[in-house]
Amino acid sequence: MRFNEKELVCLSRQPSEMAAELGMRGPKKGDVVKRRLVKLVVNFLFYFRTDEEEPVGALLLEQCRVEREDTQTFSIAFLDDAERKYLFECDSEEQCKEWIDSIIKASYEFMRRNLIFYRTEIHRLTGKDPLEQYGISDETRFQVNSGSQLMARDTSSL
Amino acid sequence: MKIDEKVVCYFESCKSPVDKEGYLSKKGEIKTSYQKRWFMLKANLLFYKDRPGDKDLIGVIVLEGCTVQLCESEEQFAFSLVWSEPGLRTYKFAAEDQASQESWIKALLSASHSYLALLVMDMEKQYKDALRAHPSESRRPFTMPTFPSTHASTLPAFAAQSVGRPASQGSSQQLQAPNSSVARAVSKKSPKLWPKRNSNMVAVGAPALPMLEFSGLCFAPEEQFIKLHEDFGREIKKLIADWSRRRGGGEDLPVESLIDFG
Repeated sequence: MRFNEKELVCLSRQPSEMAAELGMRGPKKGDVVKRRLVKLVVNFLFYFRTDEEEPVGALLLEQCRVEREDTQTFSIAFLDDAERKYLFECDSEEQCKEWIDSIIKASYEFMRRNLIFYRTEIHRLTGKDPLEQYGISDETRFQVNSGSQLMARDTSSL
Repeated sequence: MKIDEKVVCYFESCKSPVDKEGYLSKKGEIKTSYQKRWFMLKANLLFYKDRPGDKDLIGVIVLEGCTVQLCESEEQFAFSLVWSEPGLRTYKFAAEDQASQESWIKALLSASHSYLALLVMDMEKQYKDALRAHPSESRRPFTMPTFPSTHASTLPAFAAQSVGRPASQGSSQQLQAPNSSVARAVSKKSPKLWPKRNSNMVAVGAPALPMLEFSGLCFAPEEQFIKLHEDFGREIKKLIADWSRRRGGGEDLPVESLIDFG
């Protein structure tokens, strides 16, 4: 499968708040934990060998499940296959929580849902569609499906 | 650099919203002829294969850091994705007709993750303002979409329309240049940390709301975003005027970029 590698490598050089050396283990049997500089840029997780300019690899953070494995370890599971997981070892519980939170919020689909929520609520409160001023109200990607539901939810869990 | 292909392929084939799909001709990298391919735009990724039913992906283009431009080409209805940094490439495409060209350009302009992030930040602010301005409304029973608690959801809480045909084809020619606005915003200042906020700030009189943090991203202030949109609004009006003239006059497409970097 082809992809625009140079442009993606360029993206990996963008500054990011979430960049740290973590212990990382790949999803295959026999993969061991290796120290990697892990960096979150948009909805990609790049990982570098320390002091190398170009990342070893890139992970697309969509359709994934991020979970706490123990106090300082989190995992990213893909393809609804709980066994196919990448594991990340942090230096503290706080760092672990921060990474989990950041990765979840980095997903494009997560952000899109938030946008639709805000759009709907602003329209409900003000009668105006906030996307009109940007000329993007009819863009497919920002539509609320007529079949979608804003579900009542117990907000005490927030 | 390797990319986890299985993850990318899965994302392409899964039920998450498709923002646009259709045939485009793409200029080859080595063979410089244009080849017809089936393209699918999902989030900030442009996938392509030979035919819609094919299982195998030929490739994917990650749409970050590029601008969308009209371009001069031996082909009609051409446009390009341009990465302006040295050594980075330009992808050239040709649509089947003008409507398709406009529709694709518009869809690609609003595709980047960076653009969406800025938009969400702006909307969050507007939402807070709206709550302050309409306190009686906010006391209504509060319903919320599903937000993931401890893990990123694989459930689509909202499914956008899966076929990417804009509701008002042809009638709304407004285009914005979000990619360039982001490019300019980022290059004007060195990226700074977005101030962290409590995740459970409670607005007076309203139930608990999710205040989103974007700790992985660095942006210029939101005021700059609005100003940039105003700036581009002017450019867009100019573009609309140009396109209307072109439709009436039958002139050749001029070489122009949607974004004038000055």
